[in-house]
This record gives sequence, structure tokens and C-alpha cells, in this order.
Amino acid sequence: MNKYFYPALAALVLLGSAYTFVATSWQIADGYSIGFSSNDAGGVFKTFKGVLVFDEQNPAASKFDVTIDAASINTGNGLQNKHAKSDEWFDVAKYPVIHYTSSRIVKAGSGYQVTGDLEIHGVKKPVTIPFTFQKTAKGAVFTGSFTVNRSDFHVGKPGGDVAEQIKIDISVPVTKQ
Amino acid sequence: MFKKALSLGIVSGFLAGMAGIIYAHLYYSINEADFSKVASSIRVIMSSLAGGVLAAIGFTLLNKWLKRNGEIVFNLLFSILSFASLLMPIAFKLPTSLETPELFPGMVIPMHFFPALAWFTLKPLFIRHAYPVA
Repeated sequence: MNKYFYPALAALVLLGSAYTFVATSWQIADGYSIGFSSNDAGGVFKTFKGVLVFDEQNPAASKFDVTIDAASINTGNGLQNKHAKSDEWFDVAKYPVIHYTSSRIVKAGSGYQVTGDLEIHGVKKPVTIPFTFQKTAKGAVFTGSFTVNRSDFHVGKPGGDVAEQIKIDISVPVTKQ
Repeated sequence: MFKKALSLGIVSGFLAGMAGIIYAHLYYSINEADFSKVASSIRVIMSSLAGGVLAAIGFTLLNKWLKRNGEIVFNLLFSILSFASLLMPIAFKLPTSLETPELFPGMVIPMHFFPALAWFTLKPLFIRHAYPVA
């Protein structure tokens, strides 16, 4: 009995302490907003899903893996939506999702910063997104804002009426899983 | 003349608005696309009334300036302007909270013809001849 007690206790303590370092999984709640804007075009992506594992105390153990349904784009205008889904822009038939996977999350000032790979239109590029994490009564809200150059991802023809730099605004309410 | 034209404009505008509301309700029920946030019943009625009143002003002025040809020019202009106004719903940007914006022009485009349709239908009841036939 004594032979196994201390090793078991040690294993239990180790497991318990390891558990405290496991970041919390968050479930994406309704009311999220993935918006984009430029001088000319603007709109939202309606469908967004993924895995958000995040711990304020231990951002290094956190991980984001999210996808946006490219076909869920809504600019508020039917013709523009059709155009945006076409092969000239997002080519949703060939590239149905926009994918972001984090590789590193760090504390940055009053907020955080996630670095990862953003894949749009079949082109994968490293992108760093500053974000904040605010706890609410129901859970928490991730809020971030960053800019991407659409030509880096071969989205649309270079130049033209739509600006190269597209601002992305993200607000994702989450609940604890 | 203006009094009769204005009466025609108001009545035809109102009826066009009513037709627009009925059409919008039909459209909602068939397509399950609710655009009442941007094209509410009151907006449909008021814009149709505005169309009718503007038509009355245009009709009176054109008959005054162009005499016998006034009505011909007016009819042409009213039809052309109704047709040209289709660009507005096609280019209109809806709030992104509304689903299926591609169905919006299908609802609004027919409404743009209702004031002209009502005007041309009711005109003989209000004004037999804009300019007396010799």
C-alpha cells in the first residue's frame, strides 16, 4: 500500500498542477461580428466557427483555430455579394473558408497579441492580431482589429476602386465550455 | 389644370403605395425575405405619394410649356424616369444585419412602376384632355 501511495500522490499532484495550466476552452456565442471595411467596400462575414482556448493568466498555453465561411459574406448589396464570391475576389467555390490558426499568443500592453497563419483565397500568410479579452456576466468578449493587404492574398485585382488595405474588426462573445 | 393633376397625383400615388404594400407582403410570404426595416409601409406610401405629386407638377409644367406636345413628352419622361430609377434599388446598400440583399431589388423594382401605372390608368378619370382637342 505504502509502496504505491507516494508515487500515486505525486502523480495526482502533477496531474492536478498540469490541469491548472490548461487554458480554458471558450464556446463562440451568438452575436459575434466579423466586419471588414475600406474606402469603398464594407460588410460582414455571417458564419464563423472554431476553437478558442484562452487563459488570461497563461496566454502561452492558449490557442485559436477558427474558420470563416467565405460564402457568408454580406456587403448589404446583392450584386456586390455575388461579385465578392466570384473567382475574381474570394472564389468561394474553390476556397470556401478563410482559416486562421494561432502559433503564439502573448500579453501586449493592456491586451494581447496573437500571431498565426491566415489563409485566404488559398494563400497563407503570417498575421499578428492585437486583441482584448473582457469578462462579462455571461462569459467574455474577444475584440480585435487589424489590417490586411488584400493583394497579399490575391483577393481582387491590384489597384481599382477598392483599397488595398482592408480593415478587419472582430468582436466575439464567448461562453465557458 | 394643376388642381386636377394634383388630385390625380395624390390618388394615383396613394393607390400605387397601397399596391406596393400588398406586393411587399406577398413578396415576404413567398420569399421569406423581410425588408420592412428599410422599406416600411409608411415609406412605400410616402414615396409613392411623392412620385404622384412630382408627376402632377411635371404634367402641369410640361403642358404649360409645350402645349399639345406636353402630354406626349410627359408620358415619355414619366416612363423613362421610372425605368431609370431602377438603378437606385440595384445600387442600394442594405444594413448587413439583413439577410439575402440579392432579393431586395426584386421587391422594390416593380414598385417603381406602380406610380406611373396608376397615373396612366386613372388619368382619363381626372383629365380627359390636357390640351383641348380642336
